[in-house]
Amino acid sequence: MQRVVMLADCQSFYATVEKVAHPEYANRPVVVAGDPERRSGIVLAACPIAKSFGVTTAETLGEALAKCPQLVVIRPRMQEYIKVSLHITSIYNSFTDLVEPYSIDEQFLDVTGSLHLYGGDVQALAQAIQHEVKLMTGVYIRIGIGSNKVLAKMACDNYAKKNRSGIYMLQQDDLRNTLWSLPVSSMFMVGRRMTRHLNRIGVHTIGELANTPLAVLRRRWGVNGEVLWRFANGIDFSPVSPSTHQTQKQIGHHMTLPRDYVSLQELKVPLQELSDLVCQRARAKGYMGTTVAVTCRGANFDYPTGFHRQLKLEEATYVSTVVFQTVMKLFHQHWDGLPVRSIGVSLAGLVSDQIVQLSLFNQSEKQLALERTTDLIKARYGETAIMRAVSITDPGQARDRANKIGGHYK
Amino acid sequence: MSNKLSGNILWESSRMMLPEHKEAINRFNQSLQIRKRAQLDEQEQELINRALQQSLRHRIALTIHMYDPYEQLSIIGVVDRIDKQLQRFMVDGEWFCLAEVVRVEFE
Repeated sequence: MQRVVMLADCQSFYATVEKVAHPEYANRPVVVAGDPERRSGIVLAACPIAKSFGVTTAETLGEALAKCPQLVVIRPRMQEYIKVSLHITSIYNSFTDLVEPYSIDEQFLDVTGSLHLYGGDVQALAQAIQHEVKLMTGVYIRIGIGSNKVLAKMACDNYAKKNRSGIYMLQQDDLRNTLWSLPVSSMFMVGRRMTRHLNRIGVHTIGELANTPLAVLRRRWGVNGEVLWRFANGIDFSPVSPSTHQTQKQIGHHMTLPRDYVSLQELKVPLQELSDLVCQRARAKGYMGTTVAVTCRGANFDYPTGFHRQLKLEEATYVSTVVFQTVMKLFHQHWDGLPVRSIGVSLAGLVSDQIVQLSLFNQSEKQLALERTTDLIKARYGETAIMRAVSITDPGQARDRANKIGGHYK
Repeated sequence: MSNKLSGNILWESSRMMLPEHKEAINRFNQSLQIRKRAQLDEQEQELINRALQQSLRHRIALTIHMYDPYEQLSIIGVVDRIDKQLQRFMVDGEWFCLAEVVRVEFE
């Protein structure tokens, strides 16, 4: 049976949430922007009025203010956006139980089984969802519809976001007259670099990509080539899977440093903090990891450096000191000594902590007891109630990070 | 086989989810699964009490369904003691709360 899948996207999500919370700004240009003091001082979301002045997301606050001096700048409140996003999920859930959040402002809905309640009228159902979300949260959503996820996504990005009703359906058998005439750059998963590669082999529109022999694409890009070909032809068998977020494959944290760190002495501090954080989360969830991975990105954009390396441990662990030692070992081996902009630590190969091989030789039991105690103190009195002394030195980030979600203020 | 062409892997690897958002979703889904406590009327309560008494007096095995917020919980066995003071009963050496009993069946 033909599925009916929707991708619902919230227009200027963060900015709209703030506008609903501050009705006095209803008719003024509003942007949500990260901390101007730090690198994160960029525009995260701009309301439609601000966009009409030419303000775009991801530009710096300075650039935005130059275009529109009367701009209302609001600090992000990530916790609130998560709450509203969940509220919207529950509204979608009242229409279908198959809802899969794809990001904070985009969610997939499989409405195949709900359509009969609307006499099979997809447009009517989409309008009802759109209306309900607007009424309950004040957020305007745009809905792309198709017989699978990729068609829904492309219907939303290329059409629903641009038309009046905010609803558009891509028909699988009519791609020739719709999607295929668009340039390849507007296809999902095709970025700037891929566009260049495709143009070089004479592919300029999605239609040309769809009609390129699969073998040619497979030879050049392997599985990724086949993915592109399938998407251009509107083929995608992935399910809309509500439970997709339950499985935990790895626990990792990543941060952009407030300035470029140049010495190992400095880098050690946030690496220690990230290791602590990762292990703290692992302990809370009852997972031990067997693989420690470190990511490091250099500071120079024009000459990208950095590495992502991992190391398998002899036994699963979530003891911070053990993880940190491994992290430093990897860092020693692979860091080229150039300034660093961002770092990340993750723990993968997760296993339950309910069954553990005790070891005669390793002395981590005591250390673990200490770490569990600090976990309890943190859970009760807040993340900053107890921390390492290095965290209050200049390179330390723990205090700042405790107030943030996704690098922006809670 | 598990690569980008099968299952949901493509969408799982391309999405942008904040860990805090993910956790909030899971917590929310869990909260939906919390069971509601059944409201018992007097007669139902009377039946339960009588069954427990009979089990105690005549050593009859029972299946006692208990309330639990997350799972289906039932006790199978003979009631050894009933403690009216503390509102609890004992099966096989373990104490249970009388107020949590939802339904009783004879084995």
